[in-house]
Amino acid sequence: MSDLSVHSPMANAPIPENPIYGLMAEFDSAQELLDAAHKTHEAGYHKLDAYSPFPIEGLAEAIGFHKNRVALVVLIGALVGGISAFAFQYWVAVITYPTNIGGRPYFSWPSFIIVTFELTILFGGISSAVGMIALNGLPMPYHPVFNVAEFAKASENKFFLVVESADPKYDPAATRSFLNGLAPRMIAEVPS
Amino acid sequence: MTMTTTAIKLNRSDLMAPPVAQVMQQRSLIIGVVGAVAAIAGAFLAPASFYSAYLVGFMFWLGLSLGCMAILMLHHLVGGSWSIVIRRLLESGMMALPLMAVLFIPILLNLPKIYFWARPESLADPKIADIAHSYLNFNGILIRAILYFVIWFGMAYFLNRWSTEQDSIAGQSTLRFRALSGLGMVIYSFAISFAVIDWVMSLQARWISTIYGLLFVAGEALSAFCFCVVIETILAKRKPMSDYLTDTEVHDHGKLMLAFVMVFAYFNFSQWLIIWAGNLPEEIPWYKARLNGGWQYVGLFLVIFHFAVPFALLLSRQLKRKAGTLVWLASWLIIMRMVDIYWHIEPAFHSEVHLSWVLFAILAGMGGLWMAYFFHNLRARPLLPLNAPQTLRLLEREH
Repeated sequence: MSDLSVHSPMANAPIPENPIYGLMAEFDSAQELLDAAHKTHEAGYHKLDAYSPFPIEGLAEAIGFHKNRVALVVLIGALVGGISAFAFQYWVAVITYPTNIGGRPYFSWPSFIIVTFELTILFGGISSAVGMIALNGLPMPYHPVFNVAEFAKASENKFFLVVESADPKYDPAATRSFLNGLAPRMIAEVPS
Repeated sequence: MTMTTTAIKLNRSDLMAPPVAQVMQQRSLIIGVVGAVAAIAGAFLAPASFYSAYLVGFMFWLGLSLGCMAILMLHHLVGGSWSIVIRRLLESGMMALPLMAVLFIPILLNLPKIYFWARPESLADPKIADIAHSYLNFNGILIRAILYFVIWFGMAYFLNRWSTEQDSIAGQSTLRFRALSGLGMVIYSFAISFAVIDWVMSLQARWISTIYGLLFVAGEALSAFCFCVVIETILAKRKPMSDYLTDTEVHDHGKLMLAFVMVFAYFNFSQWLIIWAGNLPEEIPWYKARLNGGWQYVGLFLVIFHFAVPFALLLSRQLKRKAGTLVWLASWLIIMRMVDIYWHIEPAFHSEVHLSWVLFAILAGMGGLWMAYFFHNLRARPLLPLNAPQTLRLLEREH
């Protein structure tokens, strides 16, 4: 398969001289991070992420994260579970193994409802867990932000804002000076 | 901790109900008096419709009082910001119980007009004669009704009085609220189950369902949540509630409405599935009465508009988060609660679908008086309990 990689467009793409993931700014408090996130988003940066040791109310909205699709995944999972449970019972009770139970019709739908309900809940529940993990991009064995040594403090007492280099408005010098204007403790380049 | 709590100034006069509550109280009283006069006229003009309609109205408005009490107890046990914002509404609704005790007297005095077991001809059936001799008779109904109302009002009285005391004394332990509420939830469930057996299930004296009381428990809680959503929507347009009621609390009320819509459907379906599967002659007459003579359309209407459609709508996060949209569904579900009780009670009296103006007069008469009582209670105290721990947390939340 080695010749394939030679012809793949990825291999022909120009490799940046110094591939960096983005710029990281460190803050001392949740409020500073929240204000910085607001200003950065308002300045037109949209590919950015914020990291803090604990959940901060309003931070997700500040970086432009308004809606997730977990609810939709759960709805689809629940519908699939409910419909397949009902269809399976119908197939068993009416088509494959029709059995006379107390003289009732083969298609006695009231007795199908319990299993239909249970599988709706089961599939909905599993979809919410799996959907949440998948939409978070997990599992993720590598993330560039850990290349910055100071980032370890994101799980202790420091707050970080990262502007990705993939952002169309990103410019190494201009973005750095913009972040400097937010008065962070420090700014670091995040190697890719 | 002391730093943050002393920073908050809770001013009693700033938290009183807005003038609209007084206007609503006056209008409710007018509707109540007009409705009551019409209902009394109905007792003479349409006696064949009156007694069943009276029982429908009584069970609905009693259920609203008791639903408020049950949710208040839930608040004391597990509540947070979702429940503290409606706590005074719940207390005011619960304290309308004395009115319901008075409104029970006409039922007590007219047992033979309502219940088959209270009529002499029922003694021809040996089984009913046996039940009527030992349990379902005037003295039994009287003694048990006194017991139910003493239990309910006793618990309501203390929860309400302690709540008033809490307004003037800071830093009190909430242990007594929690202790009475924990025990009270159990006592309330038993008392309402027995009361519903006496007052509603005994309309068919030979028919029994062990889940019957829970159908009413679920319905009463749903009524109370919907009622709170309607009232909070009116109050939140004005100070003081506009200062502290946020979408987060409305969202929680919407979620709880969804939960109780589902519990209601779950209990009803459980009863129906067991009776359908058993197919026994003692059990099916209750459904035969409600699935014939046009009543089946009322039942189907309930399945669709008390469960399926509200359930689907309440899945929407946007609808649940805004009081302005949720209030329409809450109002609709209050009407559905009335229709559900109507479907439980009226088929025992009328084999064909029967709807009389007397029912509307009674619902308006009792409801108007109930609402006037509610607003009277609500205006007596601040809309937030001043020293409740959840109030302090609610106000700390604001930056």
